[in-house]
Amino acid sequence: MGVLPNKMLHHATQRQAEAFAAVLAVFLVIFMLGALIWTPPAQAEDELNCVLCHKFRGLSRIDENGRFRLFYINENLFMKGPHKRIMCMDCHRDIKKIPHDPAKKVTCTVECHLTEPSGKQKFSHAPVKKVLDASVHSKYDKDGNLKDYPEDYPSCKNCHEQPLYRPLSFFKGESSGISRRGLSRCKTCHQTGDFAEDFYSHVTSRLQKTRESKEIVEVCAKCHGDPAFQKRHDLDNVVESYKDTFHGKAVSFGSNETADCLDCHVVYGESVHSVESHKEPTASTHKNNIAATCRNEECHFKAGEGIASYQVHTNYNDAEKNPMQYYMLKFFQGLMAAVLYFFVIVIFLELLRRLFPNFCFIKEKPTDANSVLKNSSSEKGA
Amino acid sequence: MLHLIKTILNKVYVIFLMCFTIWYGFFLYPIIYGHGGADHDVDILASADAEADAEITALLNEADMQEEQFASALREQTSTATTNLGYMVVEEEYVQGHFHHVGMTVEPDDNSLCIRCHGAIPHDKAKAIRAFLNMHAFYIACETCHIQPKVEDRNWAFRWYDKKSGNPISNPPGLTSKDKSMYGNYGAKIAPGRISSSGQFMFLNDEKERAFVEKYLKEKDRLGSTQQSKMKKVIHRRIDEKPLMCDGCHNEDKPYLPFDDLGYPNRRKQDLVGTEVAGMVAKYQEFYMPKFLLPGKGWSADTPNPAEEKTEEPGHNAL
Repeated sequence: MGVLPNKMLHHATQRQAEAFAAVLAVFLVIFMLGALIWTPPAQAEDELNCVLCHKFRGLSRIDENGRFRLFYINENLFMKGPHKRIMCMDCHRDIKKIPHDPAKKVTCTVECHLTEPSGKQKFSHAPVKKVLDASVHSKYDKDGNLKDYPEDYPSCKNCHEQPLYRPLSFFKGESSGISRRGLSRCKTCHQTGDFAEDFYSHVTSRLQKTRESKEIVEVCAKCHGDPAFQKRHDLDNVVESYKDTFHGKAVSFGSNETADCLDCHVVYGESVHSVESHKEPTASTHKNNIAATCRNEECHFKAGEGIASYQVHTNYNDAEKNPMQYYMLKFFQGLMAAVLYFFVIVIFLELLRRLFPNFCFIKEKPTDANSVLKNSSSEKGA
Repeated sequence: MLHLIKTILNKVYVIFLMCFTIWYGFFLYPIIYGHGGADHDVDILASADAEADAEITALLNEADMQEEQFASALREQTSTATTNLGYMVVEEEYVQGHFHHVGMTVEPDDNSLCIRCHGAIPHDKAKAIRAFLNMHAFYIACETCHIQPKVEDRNWAFRWYDKKSGNPISNPPGLTSKDKSMYGNYGAKIAPGRISSSGQFMFLNDEKERAFVEKYLKEKDRLGSTQQSKMKKVIHRRIDEKPLMCDGCHNEDKPYLPFDDLGYPNRRKQDLVGTEVAGMVAKYQEFYMPKFLLPGKGWSADTPNPAEEKTEEPGHNAL
């Protein structure tokens, strides 16, 4: 523009043309820059278009063992968890072609294509399995022998569904969801793709429990609440007895601050997969460690040693195991029934009297005036 | 007179209070004795109702393999899963052993005659495509593919029916949704019927057919085993020996189902008859499914390699 002769600047049409050229140039630059910076928005890691078939909810069958097998993938939900960056075939490794043969079970401990950023190693869930194998939930005992009913012991999928992010915002008090203000700080530098959203969601999800306390209880109850399972392993109905406690009641009303199964059965600060039998001296529920478990820094940290005497899993129906609680319950039930029904009966009789003011079972003998007089005079005489 | 009315009213009031007291006595009992200990506690967390639970527990006590399976099936049908992510709550049916989130519940078809005996997931023979066939059974009534007009019938037509009421409904709005999780879950099914001379549409499984099957199911125990077989033949009289195959609908030239009339937007119709689905169907036949036309004899993991068989049956592409 500067190269144009000055004398022409006053010319109106020339000015218009100049402005048009400038706007065009700006648009061109923006367009070119945009083309350079812009990358396609992140899609599901489904380069083979598996959802072509798997997007239909009805894709299912009953297998040879009578189990209902569902092959449906809810893409919206799949994209809401950390696995969104993994391709279908990264887990379902035996699928090499489409259409494919019946897929084999997924092994969660395989190394996937992601690189674990701190150690620059291929990512794997194998360390979790190692912890699980050392816990009470391992199907092998300490000597490496298979326990009874090994099929009852959990593998990854028994407790875990596909994980979903639970992002948090802390800007003005804690609330759920991605904080746009927080994200704006990341986005200033990390502009491409969904990196900032994913990283933000991943980290803030890890700052809290992955699941609500109520959901945790339900997960444990899948096995521990099953009467047949309890029978096979000679276990009490710990789920129901937990629900009788203050903790259980609070959780059933939606509290997440109160203790659920994992809070007591995992040593504070250890992996949630490391649940041990209460007989193990290192277990959080071993009689010597219970007080320490209750008094961890997030729970009853001011409590005395006596807190260990709190009985979580009391079966009020079992006169042999918990005689005191059993008879106490029976006594108080009896007391309450006696008090309440006494008054119910009194009120009923009172109403009955109102209905029949003169009713009486023992009919009074007809009294004549003379006998009354006689009686009264004899009394006077006395 | 007034006095009499007053007395009567008073008595009625007292009788009412007495009834209330009796009711209150019954009302108190479960409050006092409701806590029967851990085993019988009212279940707050589980979604299954107490009555069903008691039944399940009773069944399990007799611990028999089949009964255990039956009990777990009973439990399964009422169980749901809730995942609270804070900013959203995922409510879904619980499918044992299913890793991926379903994120929805599916309306059962209370109306299909076939499902009453065959169940909602009936396809099992054709191993390679059984899951696909079951998928179609979620939004297509059995008779759509299993009963075709024997001779060309101009009055043969298709309509959606509501899975709950069974009444014909207008095309479900879910068809035009771009949300893939809505695909196939319309709360409705396509079923064939006939348009009468007066222009009225009647489903093939009409009231008469329905009443007949109802009656058979109710009273079949009165029949001997031979007569039962006879009646089954009568009920299934219209079923074709060879059902409609995939490419009956998934072809561009002349799809069996009138997708436009049934409310499929052009975008989805193109997917169904174009390369997305039709291409896949062709691929299925060409590479992996030489015995495609023979349900029950399709290859499975334990049958010989289909690639070898392909050479034996070169005519299969002429579907």
